[in-house]
Amino acid sequence: MVPSLLPPLMLAAPLAAAIAIAILPARDGGNRTIEAVHVASGVVVALLALVSVARVIGGADLVAFGGWLYVDPLAAIFVGLVGVVGLLTGLYAISYVRHDVEHGELTPQKHKIFYVFFNLFVFTMMLAVTANNIVMMWVAVEATTLGSAFLVGLYGRRSSLEAAWKYVIICTVGVAFGLYGTVLTFADGAAAFGDPEKAVFWTSLMADAGKLDPMLAKIAFVFVLIGFGTKAGLFPMHAWLPDAHSEAPSPVSALLSGVLLKCALFVVIRYLAVTSRAVGPEFPQMLLMMLGFLSVAVSAFLVYVQHDLKRKLAYHSIEHLGLIALGLGIGGPLGIGAALLHAINHSFCKALLFCSSGNVLMMYGTRDLQQVKGLLRRAPASGILLMAGALALAGFPPFNVFVSEFLIFAAGLAQGWWALMIVTGLLFTITIAALIHIISGSVLGKVPETVPVGDVGWRALAPMWALLAIVLVLGVAVPQPVAHLVREATAVVLGGDRSAAIAAPWQTPAEPVAELAPRAEPRI
Amino acid sequence: MSGFQLVNGLAGLLIVTSLLVITARRPTGSALFYALQSLVMVAIFLTLAGTVGSHELTAWAGTSFVTKVLLVPILMTRLLGRIEDTKLGSGERIPPAVSVLLAAVVVVLCFWVVDGVSLPAAAAIKPALAVSLSHFFLGLAAIVTQRNILKQVFGYCLMENGSHLTLALLAAKAPEVVEIGIATDAVFAVVIMAVLGLQIHRTFGTLDADQLTNLKG
Repeated sequence: MVPSLLPPLMLAAPLAAAIAIAILPARDGGNRTIEAVHVASGVVVALLALVSVARVIGGADLVAFGGWLYVDPLAAIFVGLVGVVGLLTGLYAISYVRHDVEHGELTPQKHKIFYVFFNLFVFTMMLAVTANNIVMMWVAVEATTLGSAFLVGLYGRRSSLEAAWKYVIICTVGVAFGLYGTVLTFADGAAAFGDPEKAVFWTSLMADAGKLDPMLAKIAFVFVLIGFGTKAGLFPMHAWLPDAHSEAPSPVSALLSGVLLKCALFVVIRYLAVTSRAVGPEFPQMLLMMLGFLSVAVSAFLVYVQHDLKRKLAYHSIEHLGLIALGLGIGGPLGIGAALLHAINHSFCKALLFCSSGNVLMMYGTRDLQQVKGLLRRAPASGILLMAGALALAGFPPFNVFVSEFLIFAAGLAQGWWALMIVTGLLFTITIAALIHIISGSVLGKVPETVPVGDVGWRALAPMWALLAIVLVLGVAVPQPVAHLVREATAVVLGGDRSAAIAAPWQTPAEPVAELAPRAEPRI
Repeated sequence: MSGFQLVNGLAGLLIVTSLLVITARRPTGSALFYALQSLVMVAIFLTLAGTVGSHELTAWAGTSFVTKVLLVPILMTRLLGRIEDTKLGSGERIPPAVSVLLAAVVVVLCFWVVDGVSLPAAAAIKPALAVSLSHFFLGLAAIVTQRNILKQVFGYCLMENGSHLTLALLAAKAPEVVEIGIATDAVFAVVIMAVLGLQIHRTFGTLDADQLTNLKG
């Protein structure tokens, strides 16, 4: 562990930006200074996040404030996601929000509020993923709800207020379960270690997990999984997600789906590691597998029947978070590594798609797929981006989602979950059909006569091209630093062995998947 | 009477006050009863602090008094005092008598669950621990059984009080910052929910959760 100023700086930048923007005056048409502060904060956070990730890859776990903040390889993955996806969606937000102000959907005051809460939201997510103090971790996750609630309800329409209310009430109640789980874990640790100061840190809980009371550890994990699983959008606590994702401004939807869900999942993974050590991996993995599979199964059908583009994408988020939970539930180095890689891949892919949905909204003024036709002819760049995003999410090569999906399925088969993986695979074909439907119905086809030709501006397209580039790079070959980070993070979760390689067989460093996990008898 | 017995006795009072919070006819009434309940919580913290010799808990009692007895009820009364939804009435999905019966079932179940915990710290205060757990679920029940969105906010407050009491009972010497973090967060949560509730009342003209049904599927 190396004391470092990086974590506090990563937190200070967005918080300072939020305060600065709150002080700046709102002007007609939107204050450009506000946008400049917002961009500066995004760039600084992304750079600091990447430097932190680089230091962690270099072998140094960063700590600050007497161990309150802690960035190990597991945290570094999520720090990187908050930094990079936060910056790209933040850049996209500039033209999106300007468009809304120009069309009278947002007042100059709301323009300012948007940037205040956007930066606060980034701050709270960064706090959640850098927290080592488990109570602070809870506080941060709860704060993400509070920070983003006004973003969800920003437009002040009946539907957006309803979505904001459901979001706040379901998530605060859900996260209250997380608090109870946190309190139980802390009390358990305090009694077991005889030192309350120590029991509050995840690192000490992890180091001495063997001393925890097994019964309390199990109960605590159930509470934690319900609590933070609500925030991660897992079935059956997912009811808030489609409403919040569809009613929020598109860049915020991208951030909610791309990053926020992963932050909640990060907390679950932290507790998964402690619980696995305390009571063995079977109990937490069985729960994760169950919730994961149910999330995939339920959302697959809901995706298909949706005609609202953003709701469709929201149900995809539930499905992919379910798949990640399934990967964690399968366990082993390959299962957990694949799940972490899928978390990264899904973040970038979904951010790209929600930004695409923003372009559709800017050009067509509707999210109804039955009214959106001929996007490719009307706006070739947006059309290609949406099409690429949809193909990527459907799991086609050479995009990144394919790689991690393949690895999760490989992990499941290697562990002998044949029936489960086959059913999951079939469920995924339904969603592929749904995504192809978006492409054939809305991206291709004729432009309606009434709609003028022309794309959105470069300011909106540039961050999206960057996202597409990342999606492609991660799909063609997982870059060495990412593979290394995922491997180390997997080792953190498993509490040891840092040797297993995470790469599909055709990628370098190539290793037959079967060798990574011991062959097992079919279980179902 | 020993300190622990007093704690257990006071915990019983918490159940009564939370039922009052849930069955109060108006949100402002709930706010008043919530203040009363928080006062009982503070008394429990102080008794426990004296019994186990924890100066941390004494400090908690102070912060809880400020945030829960004063700040939250005053904020809620000031924010909500003026708004009303006469058509909604009390907004209960089930009659108060059934609520009380349901609460009894929850408490019995929680006593049964807590009985299985073997933590040495919990031995003397098991009844209070059972109450804190049932408090959590009573809050959840309040959210599910109330249609008035402002009373749902108090349901959350009850859940939060339950977790808070569990923390005090099981880890009396937790660092002060832990408690401050939880209390501050809870205050913010209540304020934001109340502000959203006000916006909804202004836009929809109602406080009925069942009217919030535009988004489906």
